[in-house]
Amino acid sequence: MSVRIKDLTFSYRNFSLHVQNLQFEGAKITAIVGPNGAGKTTLLKCICAILPAPKGSLFIDGRDIIAMPEEERAKLMAYVPQEHTAAFNYTIQDFVLMGRAAYISLFSTPSSADVQIAHEALEYVGLRHYASRPYFQLSSGERRLVLIARALAQKSDILILDEPTSFLDPKHETELLELAKKLAIEKKKTILVTLHNLDMAVKYSDAMVFMKKGGVVAQGKPDDILTETLLENVYEIKMTIIRYDGRKLIVK
Amino acid sequence: MKGKPALIFFAVALAGSASASFENASPQKAGLAIKDSLDRTVSIPARVERIISIQPEISRLIVALGAGDNLVGVDYTLRLRDHMFRIIYPKEHNLTLVSMAENNINLEMIMRLKPDVIFVSPYERQIVKALEGKTRIPVVALASMGNFTKLCEEMRLVGRVLGREKRADELVAYFNEGVDRVRKSLDAVPEQKKPRVYLSFWGSLTRTPILYEPVNAVGGINVAEKIAPDILGSVSTKVNVEQIIRWNPDVILVHGHYPPRERTMTVDEVLADSRLASVEAVRSKKVFYTLGFWDWWDMAEVMIETLYLAKLFYPERFIGFDLIREGNAIFKKFYGVGGGFSELCRILKCDEWTHE
Amino acid sequence: MSNRRRALCIFIYVLPLLVFLFSLYLGPFHIPLRGLFKTLLSPLFPSFKQGLSEGYISIVFGVRLPRLLLAMMVGAALSVSGASLQALFKNPLVNEYILGISSGAAFGAALSIVFLGQHFPRQISAFAFAVAAVLAVLAVAKKSDSPIVSLLLTGVIVSAFFSALLALAEFFASPYALQGLFSWLMGDLSMAGGSELAISFPLMGIGIVGLILLRWRMNVLSMSDEEARSMGVNIGKEKFLVIFLTTLITSAATAVAGIIGWVGLIIPHLIRMMVGVDNRRVIPLSAALGASYLLLADDLARSLASFEVPVGIFTSIIGIPFFIFLLRKSRKIWL
Repeated sequence: MSVRIKDLTFSYRNFSLHVQNLQFEGAKITAIVGPNGAGKTTLLKCICAILPAPKGSLFIDGRDIIAMPEEERAKLMAYVPQEHTAAFNYTIQDFVLMGRAAYISLFSTPSSADVQIAHEALEYVGLRHYASRPYFQLSSGERRLVLIARALAQKSDILILDEPTSFLDPKHETELLELAKKLAIEKKKTILVTLHNLDMAVKYSDAMVFMKKGGVVAQGKPDDILTETLLENVYEIKMTIIRYDGRKLIVK
Repeated sequence: MKGKPALIFFAVALAGSASASFENASPQKAGLAIKDSLDRTVSIPARVERIISIQPEISRLIVALGAGDNLVGVDYTLRLRDHMFRIIYPKEHNLTLVSMAENNINLEMIMRLKPDVIFVSPYERQIVKALEGKTRIPVVALASMGNFTKLCEEMRLVGRVLGREKRADELVAYFNEGVDRVRKSLDAVPEQKKPRVYLSFWGSLTRTPILYEPVNAVGGINVAEKIAPDILGSVSTKVNVEQIIRWNPDVILVHGHYPPRERTMTVDEVLADSRLASVEAVRSKKVFYTLGFWDWWDMAEVMIETLYLAKLFYPERFIGFDLIREGNAIFKKFYGVGGGFSELCRILKCDEWTHE
Repeated sequence: MSNRRRALCIFIYVLPLLVFLFSLYLGPFHIPLRGLFKTLLSPLFPSFKQGLSEGYISIVFGVRLPRLLLAMMVGAALSVSGASLQALFKNPLVNEYILGISSGAAFGAALSIVFLGQHFPRQISAFAFAVAAVLAVLAVAKKSDSPIVSLLLTGVIVSAFFSALLALAEFFASPYALQGLFSWLMGDLSMAGGSELAISFPLMGIGIVGLILLRWRMNVLSMSDEEARSMGVNIGKEKFLVIFLTTLITSAATAVAGIIGWVGLIIPHLIRMMVGVDNRRVIPLSAALGASYLLLADDLARSLASFEVPVGIFTSIIGIPFFIFLLRKSRKIWL
């Protein structure tokens, strides 16, 4: 399932985002990178329409998502926030079940089939045995996995991950990105992910989007577009690219 | 606003427990020391010419004592809600308003009026304190809480403050004589004929005074009399409808001291209340209006009320008794106005039930 | 769910019935159990009426039954609206009082009593001003950077504003209306009877049923707005629905029973401590426990002395220390 963006504009206070032309391939991982304040998260939130409707057009497989009702859109794509701060300490199972909201009508409750789907999602991220644990007891790495499980329960083709690896140690960071890769390959998910770690982005993504000051600077396969000039342009510091094990590595 | 009902509870407790009484004070001496309902000793100047009263009961007593023209300030309650005061004191619209009955006092206005003494109710002790502390004017807190003896004591006390003891004694004697006459004429009523009475007051079926002396004066029994300690006073107690059914009173009296527009509880409503169908008073249709009391008491009205109840309970003993005529005579005696009671009845439309 | 917890849930659901039967027996007019039983069955078996004491039927059906039903309904309504608002605003400290709904409704009802008289249905005005209050709170809070804090703060401000308006209305009230206002504002269930109930009962019923049906949705709504929206929730529409229903039941309850504090805060908290935070259980269980709680509080109000004490006093006197005890005992785990 591919996502196509044309002339998207979104303004919020003194920040404005403008994307002329952007395309995400189906069943691939696209990493969105760039300095803080470049508009990466805003772009993601615009795509899954959790920010008020932006100007421009946003299409998934030719279907306009801006005009689409919430529940239709939620069946197409799931959003995994950076951090979840809940007022209430739900159990993991209750938490993942909420991913089924788009399939459950306003006045009813999840069926046993929904519970089954939630369990499968938990199984997939390796937390099936945590089902009845309260959310606040989990470590931050586990919490990210639960958030992903909730998105999986949404049964959407597109997964949007907002900085899923921030504050994670290298082991958990790798595990999480491995999971994303597995999802793209096994489950044919189209994955959009914002990342700060450029090496990880290069290693795990099929495509990269470089952003700066609310606009897209470059997009394409990591190998094709990654140059020292681009990096200096985007991050405004000098970086050196070396080759190691057939892959580009960045040295600051 | 939230604390109000509780406040009434406690205020009544303290007001009811202390009774107004004299303290020494020889008449020749310059000043006068009196003890008020809060048991405070207050020094009053020898000559009292300018009076502020924010206690409606006292304002009426002052008019009765013939000192209405010494009033320089009264409370809003008297102006906005009292239908009687303008009858007994037609010049009332000239008086400056200085507060609500119990609170919201306009301190500056009070000081500008330069009163010699201020009468307040004992309900809100902190107001008494604040007033006296800030104005340095003697503040007397008084209330009779519907008790005949205290009402008479209060009349004498105010008479003393105003230097009108003779007039006060005269009115007290007139009052006692009137009430005694009623009592005497009821001497021979056998105990079992004395009615058990429930009072539906203040516009509610379930609000009742636990002390209402006019009922006792004519040999009635107030069924709610023992339910709370006396100090909770005659102000207002709320009871359960079930409790009324259990008491099964012979007579139900409905507060009628309001013009029809303001009546929220009517005799017809009580008679039609299916819950009360088994109550003796409803079955025998002995549900009547009564004058009751409003914002504090008035001696003249208490007298009329007592006569009215006597006639209501024992009509055979009061054949030919004309309440309106008697009422007008009482108003004339107290306030020097003719036809005052007729006028009040006209406003309150109580001629509907005082005439038979 | 463990067996113990399941048993606890069943107990809470059965509790209103037990307390109801107990309360039916309680009252200043002593009715022996046998008489009570016969009275209750007398509509079905007219022969039971024979030998019944005079007042039994009017006491049981005219006095106790309406009052107990009102207590249960109001208790359930306030608890359910409290639990729903807490989920909706993602804050376990929110309740209808803090959001200004109660004060708005109280002012509306008082205004109706003072200017439109006792016989005009005051639910209309109560609802209108409750809506005004909640809209004012939401409008002001929305402009802020820290919505939760400002929500509570604005709620306090709007409540204070309506309390001031209420005081103003009292100033203009006739002493007759005033006496009624005082006891009613403290929370009073003794008015049970007549047309007010006929109007408030269905309104509370609709609201309670509606919110119970929405119980699972409340879980999703308790997530951040962004998350909920990404999961397919039409935030605007569903928030409106929940606020509409809670405002409806709170104003209907306030119009007949006055301001009864703390029920909407304490009951949902208790339930969350006992069975967890899943609103699928919290909301219906809150209804059951709230009904029982207000029934018991009203039992105290009507039987502690021969005179009546406003039930709002008891809900606060019992509720607040209990709440402090809960807070101390369990810190924040249910937050």
